Amino acid sequence: MQNAEMAHAAASGQALPFCILHSAFCLMSALDHHHGGVASPVHRMPAALKLAMALGIIVGTVTVPWHFRGWFVGVAVVLALAAVLSRISPLFLLKRLLLLSPFVLGVALVNAFQPAAQGSWLVVAVRSGLCLLTVILVSNTTPFSKLLRVLTRLRVPGLLITTIALLHRYLFVLVDEAERMRRARLSRTFTRRRRARWQALATVVGQLFVRASERAERIYDAMCARGWK
Amino acid sequence: MSAAIEVTDLRYRYHDGTEALRGVTLRVEPGECVALLGPNGSGKSTLLLHLNGLLPEETRPDGAVKVLGQPIVRQNLENIRRRVGLLFQDPDDQLFCPTVEEDVAFGPQQLGLDDAEIEARVRDALERVGLPGFGRRATHHLSHGEKRRVCLAGVLACEPSVLVLDEPTSDLDPRGRREFKALLRRIPATKLIATHDLELAVELCSRAIVLDHGLVVADGPTLDLLDDEPLMLEHGLERPHILRHRHPH
Amino acid sequence: MHIPDGFLDGKTAAVTAALSAAGVGLALRQVRRELPARKVPLLGLAAAFLFAAQMVNFPVAGGTSGHLVGGVLVAALLGPGAAIVVVTTVLIVQCFLFADGGVLALGANVFNMGIVGGGAGGILYRFVCAWIPGIRGRVTAIVFAGWCSTVLASICCAGQLAWSGTVPWPAAFTAMASVHMLIGVGEGVISALALLAIYRMRPEMILDGDGGGASVPASRFARTLTPPNGGTTGRAGCCSEFMRYGLLAALGVAIFVAPFACPWPDGLEAVASKLGFERKAVHAAVPAAAPDYRVPGVHWAVGATALAGATGTLAVFGLGLLLGRMLVPRELK
Repeated sequence: MQNAEMAHAAASGQALPFCILHSAFCLMSALDHHHGGVASPVHRMPAALKLAMALGIIVGTVTVPWHFRGWFVGVAVVLALAAVLSRISPLFLLKRLLLLSPFVLGVALVNAFQPAAQGSWLVVAVRSGLCLLTVILVSNTTPFSKLLRVLTRLRVPGLLITTIALLHRYLFVLVDEAERMRRARLSRTFTRRRRARWQALATVVGQLFVRASERAERIYDAMCARGWK
Repeated sequence: MSAAIEVTDLRYRYHDGTEALRGVTLRVEPGECVALLGPNGSGKSTLLLHLNGLLPEETRPDGAVKVLGQPIVRQNLENIRRRVGLLFQDPDDQLFCPTVEEDVAFGPQQLGLDDAEIEARVRDALERVGLPGFGRRATHHLSHGEKRRVCLAGVLACEPSVLVLDEPTSDLDPRGRREFKALLRRIPATKLIATHDLELAVELCSRAIVLDHGLVVADGPTLDLLDDEPLMLEHGLERPHILRHRHPH
Repeated sequence: MHIPDGFLDGKTAAVTAALSAAGVGLALRQVRRELPARKVPLLGLAAAFLFAAQMVNFPVAGGTSGHLVGGVLVAALLGPGAAIVVVTTVLIVQCFLFADGGVLALGANVFNMGIVGGGAGGILYRFVCAWIPGIRGRVTAIVFAGWCSTVLASICCAGQLAWSGTVPWPAAFTAMASVHMLIGVGEGVISALALLAIYRMRPEMILDGDGGGASVPASRFARTLTPPNGGTTGRAGCCSEFMRYGLLAALGVAIFVAPFACPWPDGLEAVASKLGFERKAVHAAVPAAAPDYRVPGVHWAVGATALAGATGTLAVFGLGLLLGRMLVPRELK
């Protein structure tokens, strides 16, 4: 049981130092992936079409019964083709795929105790992997503002769209601030005692919120200054 | 002819009671370029926020601030904000859209212009600030100098008659400062520039106003004011190096 | 707790999506009605804050570290409705931009972390705040609500995985619940520390009229130098809007957890077959009727975990009270 617990702890993404690298890596690579200038057929496809195809693939991959192997093979071929055409580095794709593994590992370990379901983790892994690859390909070949525009056309409520847009715009700004504050705090924390470090980091989190809310006020002012009502 | 900006005995208190402005009186004529100088905490930013009605939070019709002849009251806020372009200190606060063209288009969109006109204004504004073709760029990827210029473009796209700038050249490297100053020189609108950059004040502004502790302590031609070393030192400023080698001719 | 695609089957994805859409719809309506215009950018910035705060790593032991999930902290600062919107936004961006959490599993993730974590957590926070006034009450409340919502969300997650037949219920419940009982403590404590840090800088954000931070009066230049007198008792829980989130969370728990906790599997099987669910799915969903799970003592493990949860609830509440006393010196009150 202990292994399963650990695997599930890993699955929740909180217990392994590996997962620390996960979030920082994901953030940097995802926010910087548009070096603006990769001109591949996949990049040029309209966002709505890409999203629709991705959704179709995901729904199919999740619901089609396992014995229709043709579907899964077909999807894998399509994705491989798209990956090649989009000129995204295969190493990059592999790294992102590996980040799925804790959850899959967890399920595999748990189901290892159930002899009847030995092969089922492979099914789950394949389904998961294909869906993940689809999302990675779409998100890395589509500018975020285009994705937002598709969501707007799908009648997603305006307040939600604005919130998503602001999140995307200010995420890097806040992460930067958090990193600077963290470094400043920890450089004045001379004890290795965990309590002091927790106190320092919690202060960073608290300060981050206060600064974020002050910035939100200034953004409101800037919007009003240009005529927003 | 009415003044572009007319402030009469303006007072303002923060929520915790400290007085930010204790009776500010000043006047800016149309077409002038005036520098607003003063140490940190003198109330410069607070004063600027009054010029397009962002402060006080509930506009009072006491007529303390008049822009282009009109007092700032709730009814004509829209009009005022159309005519006064305010450039904030932190470009990240002002650049809130995902792409450059969306951000520059924000103002014209709020004005209710049609798409063709908006596109034309965006293109024009970006060219004026020296960033043609930057429309598709993501805002969070820009350098600090580029962000400042996009903010300026966003304000220029609304075609204001009065331009109010809060520390426009802070955090810029020397080249960025030079380029921004050259940009500002080319804009014909009335300008009020709050700044610590005394060289900018000397190069661009014919007149300077010094604010300290919420009051105007000096108001006159820039060179005369900045050359007055005791005055400068008394109010947390200094005589800029650019004047040290000035010959009296 | 982000569930990837492929771990949930079609019916689970559909049901969770429906519940989440209802919850998010309610939250958006409430926020649109109650949030003043000047706070609209705050939602977006709070979402960016949540995302950024999740990257701050708190060292635990031997190279491991924990981090804040934050739904309850946002609920304490902005109210349950806004918290649901904020958490949903973060999950959507994580899903589409970082492939963290599946697209079809978005409904489940929003339900677990948004409606249960943010919504139900926020309601619990308000209840405790109404019971124990002042900043110490807030600390106790956030520790308790943080722990409970984390554990409850993990149980719902386990239920969803079991309902989909991916992981059998006993294993899913035991593993997820026990691990998250530990993680929940971290969540509660970190949230409390962050809340106190905010209180020291801006007391008015934590203590305001309705005793729960439904609106953040972050007025420009408003630096109240002394905190307001002792905080208010608040009227938490009387707001019918918040009860709707609670009901929605309870409905979800009923759908995902009750079948497994229910001691009458045969009756349930009959009901399920009447409703048209496949027999195969029902078998996967009702472990007591599935004899092939041969791990010894598994039912004991489930029972033990449930018992640990029940006692844990009381223990964590006590921890919250203790932290309130320890972290809030007399003069801050």
